[in-house]
Amino acid sequence: MINIVMAFPGEARPLIDCLGLAGRDTRGPATLYRNETHRLVIAGAGKIRAAAATAWLQETGPDSRHAAWLNIGIAGHASRPVGSGVLAHRITDHGTGKSWYPPQAHGLTMATDNLITVDKPETGYPENALYDMEAAGFYPVACRTTTAELVQCYKVVSDNRDNPVAGVTPKSGAALIVDRLAEITKLLTALDKLRAAVSARRGSANNLAQFTNHCHFTVSQQHQLEKLLARWDALLPEQPPWCDELQAQQQASHVLHWLEQHLNSVPVRLG
Amino acid sequence: MFTHIYIETSVADHPRTQEICARFPQATRVSCERYGEVFNPKSQDFRLQKARPALILASKHGNRVLETPAGYGIGGARNFYFSHMLNCLYDCRYCFLQGMYRSANYVLFVNYESFEEDISRVAQTGNQPAWFFSGYDCDSLALEPISGFAAHFLPFFAAQPNAWLELRTKSTQVRALLNREPLANTVVAFSFTPREMHRSLEHRVPTVEKRLDAMVQLQQAGWLPGVRFDPLIYQQGYQAQYRELFSEIFRRLDADRLHSVSLGPFRLPRGYFKAISRLYPDEPLFAGPLAETAGMLSYRQDLEHELTGFCIEELRYHVPEALLFPCTVAA
Repeated sequence: MINIVMAFPGEARPLIDCLGLAGRDTRGPATLYRNETHRLVIAGAGKIRAAAATAWLQETGPDSRHAAWLNIGIAGHASRPVGSGVLAHRITDHGTGKSWYPPQAHGLTMATDNLITVDKPETGYPENALYDMEAAGFYPVACRTTTAELVQCYKVVSDNRDNPVAGVTPKSGAALIVDRLAEITKLLTALDKLRAAVSARRGSANNLAQFTNHCHFTVSQQHQLEKLLARWDALLPEQPPWCDELQAQQQASHVLHWLEQHLNSVPVRLG
Repeated sequence: MFTHIYIETSVADHPRTQEICARFPQATRVSCERYGEVFNPKSQDFRLQKARPALILASKHGNRVLETPAGYGIGGARNFYFSHMLNCLYDCRYCFLQGMYRSANYVLFVNYESFEEDISRVAQTGNQPAWFFSGYDCDSLALEPISGFAAHFLPFFAAQPNAWLELRTKSTQVRALLNREPLANTVVAFSFTPREMHRSLEHRVPTVEKRLDAMVQLQQAGWLPGVRFDPLIYQQGYQAQYRELFSEIFRRLDADRLHSVSLGPFRLPRGYFKAISRLYPDEPLFAGPLAETAGMLSYRQDLEHELTGFCIEELRYHVPEALLFPCTVAA
């Protein structure tokens, strides 16, 4: 699952169409669109709304710990040309001075820059950095449940010293996103690859149900069982653990003992 | 090599920072106040970052020279370690750094002169010579073309009569050593596991042959290299694999011109083990016959004794007893 947090409906519309998102859901604190692999929430302007929408997605999501997170929107910049797509390599909350550094592990060749989240639209561009109103709300909340490599902020430059923010309209914002859809799609694909790599690691301990249906395991015994089955997967990946000898064990403690004895006798072959 | 270089603002104008950045003109530079802001956050994935690590240039404040754990050493009475760098170019599956750090980014402390001041002070405080181990939190030489670490520190140690330096490495970056007169108080120690284990566990590490080539060159140039079998790894058929490795190494090296041979079994603190095995749940190394004793994961005692005993016995065929140093603490 990839969760996308955006501020305004106009900017979100091109992505909603591109990803084929449906089911406009307005029951929560923000409007949600989704399909099997993506959820997109329109949070409204400001870091508080971005943080709240992100937290809401985490609470209501099917699998927020194994998800990737992307904040997409428009931003100002002192000198970058309007229309440039930029990832944030440092996010600073202008109000608190706190900074975060999203790790750039996606492998894409993309422009990256500092991003400063402000409470009101920045018209003076005092630093040569991106200026937005959401990222510092989104990023730390998204990082609460997933690893930081899976959390990114992507901004399209909408205004600069030569093109003031007063000229930005919902229509022009949407057009800027449309022009960067190819790059956004690449980013989504790269994040999904990273997400899948992390997720694959966490999916061990298969066959658990076979065991727990066979006899009663206490919670503590289930933890032991999970560890033993993970060891089994590592040492005997080609051989399913469920066998006649194991089925003959009628109690959980006997099952665990048998598994442990068996695993300790398996010759270790590295690689 | 690096797409991003993070730079502490305090070292932005340091000549070493400038020099290193000049080598990577395409890399995006990101400034930070302290390296920990980038390196230490909890929600990071070492394995994902290891595929594309960034470089962090920083200054090391305090705790630059630390005492080694008891039992760590090669005969010296006073043993210390210092880390000009955190993390390693190589990707060895057994390495404790994967469990110790959340980030796989390379931190390079550019204030070498501060390390020198501390080393000099520590060396002069005791009557007995002090040993300084440099390859504890990194590989001493692997990043040499960028860090210039050995090229800088060798002349310094040449002028320290009461100090010994151990450079520990799996790399073949020995040019800085070959370019100068050998030092009597510096040991260049190379780590090895058998070829089969190198293939499955030591990713991106030069082959046994290439490391041996580098060692032979050093010996011929007058340096006294060391050999490290640490960690000793168990797998089916380990006896034949270690026997072959020992034969190969001591066939090529002159045992009379070695400084030391040390060995230590595979061990990891419980917390590190947990973190690493979560990163690599399919790795048979972590699913093997391990047991926990006093917060440390290691091979079952019988197996550890068997493995260590076997290797010591085999090594006695090749090197004099006085050069053998079994290590009794965790890596």
